[in-house]
Amino acid sequence: MASQTSFITEVFRIGPLSITNTVVVTWGIMLALTAAAWAVTRHLGISPGRWQVVVEGIVAAIEDAIRAVLPDHYRQVMPFIATLWVFIVAANLASLIPGLRSPTGDLSLTAGLAVLVFLAVHWFGIRARGLKSYLRHYLQPNPILLPFHLIGEITRTVALAVRLFGNIFSLQMAALLVLLVAGFLAPVPVLMLHIIEAVVQAYIFGMLALIFVAGAIQSQQLREKLLKTPVMVKGEEGREKGKTASPNKGS
Amino acid sequence: MEFDWTTFALEIINFLVLVWLLQRFLYKPVTAAIAQRQAGIEKTLTDARAIRVEAEALKRQYENRMADWEQEKAQALQQLRREMEAERARLLAALQASLDEERNKLRAVEQRRVIEQQQRLEEQARSEGGRFVARLLSRLASAGLEERIRGLLLEDLPQLPDRELHVLRGATQAGEAKITSAYPLDDAQRADLTEAIGRLAGRTVTCEFVQDAGLVAGLRISIGPWMLRSSLLDELQFFAGAQHADAKR
Repeated sequence: MASQTSFITEVFRIGPLSITNTVVVTWGIMLALTAAAWAVTRHLGISPGRWQVVVEGIVAAIEDAIRAVLPDHYRQVMPFIATLWVFIVAANLASLIPGLRSPTGDLSLTAGLAVLVFLAVHWFGIRARGLKSYLRHYLQPNPILLPFHLIGEITRTVALAVRLFGNIFSLQMAALLVLLVAGFLAPVPVLMLHIIEAVVQAYIFGMLALIFVAGAIQSQQLREKLLKTPVMVKGEEGREKGKTASPNKGS
Repeated sequence: MEFDWTTFALEIINFLVLVWLLQRFLYKPVTAAIAQRQAGIEKTLTDARAIRVEAEALKRQYENRMADWEQEKAQALQQLRREMEAERARLLAALQASLDEERNKLRAVEQRRVIEQQQRLEEQARSEGGRFVARLLSRLASAGLEERIRGLLLEDLPQLPDRELHVLRGATQAGEAKITSAYPLDDAQRADLTEAIGRLAGRTVTCEFVQDAGLVAGLRISIGPWMLRSSLLDELQFFAGAQHADAKR
C-alpha cells in the first residue's frame, strides 16, 4: 500500500494486522493525554493550583460551547465532542515534534472519526427521540426528500473526513516542500500557520459534529415547538395590530 | 491518499477507548471539582444570605430593643425627676422646720438671756441701791433717828395683832427681855421701853439693854424665841430679802 511519496509507513505487524505509524502515534497521543489527565486530576482540590486552573478552564470552555448549542443534552454529548476536540488538536500538533507526523494526515483516521460522528449523530438522535420519531424526520417535510437526506448524510460525512485530511495533509506537504526549497529556517512561519490551522481544523471538525448531533436531537423538538406556536401571516398580523391599536375603528 | 482498513478500524477503537479514558480521568473529576466548588460557593452564598437575614433580624430586634430602652429610660428619668422633686420638697420642709425650730430655740435662748440679763441688772441695781441706801442711812444714822425709830416702835407696839401678842405673852413667861440698840439709851428711854413691853406682856418684865452699832440705828427686842426687829439693819436686810424673793418669782 505504501508508496514513496506517502507519509504512512508500517511499523510492525500483529498477525494479519498491519500497525502503521498513524496507529502508533495515536497510541502515543492517547497515552500522553491519559497520563496528563491522570496527573492533573490526581490532586484536585477546592483551591485550584496552576495546572488545575488550566485544565478546568479548558473543560469549562468546552462545556460552555456545547451547552450553548445543546442546553438540554450537553452532559450526554460532552465526552464525545470534547474528546474530538482534544484528540484532533493533539493529533494535528503532533507533527511539530521532530520525527512525528500528524495522524490526521491519514485518511483512514479522519474517515474513522467521520464514521464515528455519523454513528454518533444517529445514536444520540435515537436516544433523544426514539427510533420511529428519529427515522420519521427523514420523511419530512416531504417523503420525496428522503434521497436527498440520505445523500446529505453520506456527503457530509465524507466531507468531514476529507476536509480534515486534506487540510492537514496539504499543510504537511507544503511545509515539506518549503523546507526542501527554501532551507532550514524558512518553514518556521509555515509551522506557526500549522498551529493555527491545527486548532481551527479541530474546532471546525468538533463544531460540525456538534451541530450534526444537535440537529439530530433538536430537529424534531424544533418542529414540535414551531407547530405549537401560532403562525401569522404578515397581513393578518398587521390587521391584528390595527385592531389592538383602535378597537372601535372597524365598527 | 491511501486508505487502510486496519488503521480505520483501529482508529475507531482507539477513539472510543480515548473517550472512555478521558471521561474517566479528565471530564468526570474536573466537572466534579467544578461542581463541588460551585456547590461550596452556593453554600457560602446561601450561608451569607442567611447570615444577612439573621443580621437584619437582629438589627431590627436591636433597634426595637433600643427604642424600648429609650422609652424605659425616659420613663425612669421622669420617675426619678418626680422622686427628686418630692425628696427636695421633703428636705426643704424638713429644713424649714429645723430652721423654725432653731429660730424658736434661738428666740427662747435670747429671751432667757435678756431676762437673765435683766434680772442680773435688776439684782445689780438692787444691790447697788441697797448699798447706796445702807451707806446713805449709815451716814444719816444718829441718836435722833434712833429716837424717832424708838418713838415709832412705841406707837406700833400696842397695835400688834392678837396672834403676835399671844406669842409674845407666851415668850415672856420667864419675865426677861433683851433690848439691843445702836446708840446708848438713857434711863427714861429704857423705862419707857420696859413699861411698854410689860403692858404688852401683861406682867412685869426685866429688860437687859445691849448696845450694837451694827444695827445702824433703831432697836431689836428679843423675848425668848420671839424677836421684834426695828432697826435700819433689819429693815435693809428685810428689804434686800423681799427684793430677792420678788426677783426669784
